[in-house]
Amino acid sequence: MKRTLSVRLFAGLLALTGAWVAYTQTPQGKQAPAQTKAPAPFNLIKIADDLYVIDGGGAGNVAVYITNEGVIMVDDKFEQHFDEIMANIKKVTSQPVKYILSTHYHADHSGGNTRWSSIAEIISTRNAHDGIVQHKQSNAPDNMIPARVTFTQETDLFLGGKEVRAKYYGRGHTNGDAFVYFPALKVLHTGDMFTSATPLIDYPGGGSLVEWTKTLDSVMSDKTLDFDTVIPGHGPVSKKADLLTYRNKAADMRTRVQTLIRQGKNQDDVAKFMTAEYSWQPGSLNMQWSLPGMMTELK
Amino acid sequence: MSRTLIVRLSATFLALGCAWVAYTQAPQGKQQAKQASNKLNKITDDLYEIEGDGGNVAVYITNEGVIVVDDKFEYDFNDIMAKIKSVTAQPVKYVLNTHHHGDHTGSNEHFLPTAEIISTANARKNMIDGKQPGAPRVVFTDETDVFLGGKQVQMRYFGRGHTNGDAMVYFPALRLLHTGDLVAGNSPLIDYGGGGSLKEWAATLDAAMKLDFDTMIPGHGPVGKKADMLTYRNNVEKLRTEVTGMIRQNKSRDEIAKVVEDKYGWAPTGLQFQRGFDGMLAELKR
Repeated sequence: MKRTLSVRLFAGLLALTGAWVAYTQTPQGKQAPAQTKAPAPFNLIKIADDLYVIDGGGAGNVAVYITNEGVIMVDDKFEQHFDEIMANIKKVTSQPVKYILSTHYHADHSGGNTRWSSIAEIISTRNAHDGIVQHKQSNAPDNMIPARVTFTQETDLFLGGKEVRAKYYGRGHTNGDAFVYFPALKVLHTGDMFTSATPLIDYPGGGSLVEWTKTLDSVMSDKTLDFDTVIPGHGPVSKKADLLTYRNKAADMRTRVQTLIRQGKNQDDVAKFMTAEYSWQPGSLNMQWSLPGMMTELK
Repeated sequence: MSRTLIVRLSATFLALGCAWVAYTQAPQGKQQAKQASNKLNKITDDLYEIEGDGGNVAVYITNEGVIVVDDKFEYDFNDIMAKIKSVTAQPVKYVLNTHHHGDHTGSNEHFLPTAEIISTANARKNMIDGKQPGAPRVVFTDETDVFLGGKQVQMRYFGRGHTNGDAMVYFPALRLLHTGDLVAGNSPLIDYGGGGSLKEWAATLDAAMKLDFDTMIPGHGPVGKKADMLTYRNNVEKLRTEVTGMIRQNKSRDEIAKVVEDKYGWAPTGLQFQRGFDGMLAELKR
């Protein structure tokens, strides 16, 4: 299985990277021209007999956990991806989707709530719920629907003899990021606390670069979390070691930017640095959501 | 509303007192052939209480469905549903369990196919350990909120007391708190086998009383006010202090039992003694 997985992952890597770039660079409200480009194709990636990942659409990785009493999903991409997600699930099970655990409030992870909430129980952190209610995402559609059931620290789901755990470890990408753990499979879905790109810090949504690495440290030092495989918010399925690498790169980025700010560089200087060193494009979500907040937080 | 409520409460006080005595005295296993005997009380236009058998049930009506707190014994299911249907056509969407005991979760197995049942992680674990049917599919550790029909209900875990998994259920718009059995009757039933603790109990109530509420639905007994919760809390502390004092004075088990019977109303063969007495002596010795 592992070899098959590796082959698939390498094959899908380029497409995924492209999708992520599309995500971070194109505010959704202004996406009309970008839509004419070929959308990232959907792939169904098998991780275990009962766990699949659906990537594609330029939206967050969906996890599909199959039990004999129904399916538990993690995230539901954009609203327009409903049919494609459903079609992919039906390829591997006839069980209905009973639960969706949301990693955070962004429309590329929770936008599908508008379609799924009538057929499945959606659960998120309280802050993710509030982020949708308060419309904190500047480029989100107006019709977003929050979870009906929320939690602050930890919630566990028991279905068909299987368990899935969602836990909040602290701020980072937003102030309401949940990690979703599949104990029987030693798999962790990180949401956008780990992606194939540099951190996108949603400061208006309560994100924090300073807290980000602390949050990842809490995850990696949690003795109740025994995991090998990591499903990132965007990008290829990875290993625990990749999560550590990502954490270290985030810490390094923070240190470098902080040094510049403390040297008195202004926002334009830092923006040029981020473009040159981290490929943050002018007008991208990184520049809109992360840069001004970093200038304040890292002073 | 308050005057009506007081009249109602006075009228039903005796019956409720009897229900509590029945609860503390009758082990659950022997109750299966019983007929449901309950009464529906209106607290507000959208919140009702069902008293009688087992724990007090709360019924919160929204335009997207009903949220229920606790569901008594298995034999009460049809009666609970009939009482709900007498005030709303909305379906029951959520059942929130305050803790694992069979007089609060007995109808879970009937609700589970059509409603989401939520409890603390420890309450579920206790149900599984006790091989009780109808264990919830969704659990939480600290806090969970249910948002339905523009209304909010909050479940909180504040610490140990009656068991190690007692949730209180807060209705912010109504400034109302369902305490589960952390407030029930006059004197605590400490389920040490279920992780309960007399030492922790008062601190757990203190944390809950920081919530902004006026009306309190106890696990058993009449609907009360926040002040009644404080009275109960002080009675819990009085019990703890007095028993601790007697232990320090090397009073015998029988001497302590007599005080608990006479001053705190524990029935000699009741559940308070069965589940709470030896555990209490052991805990307070430490």
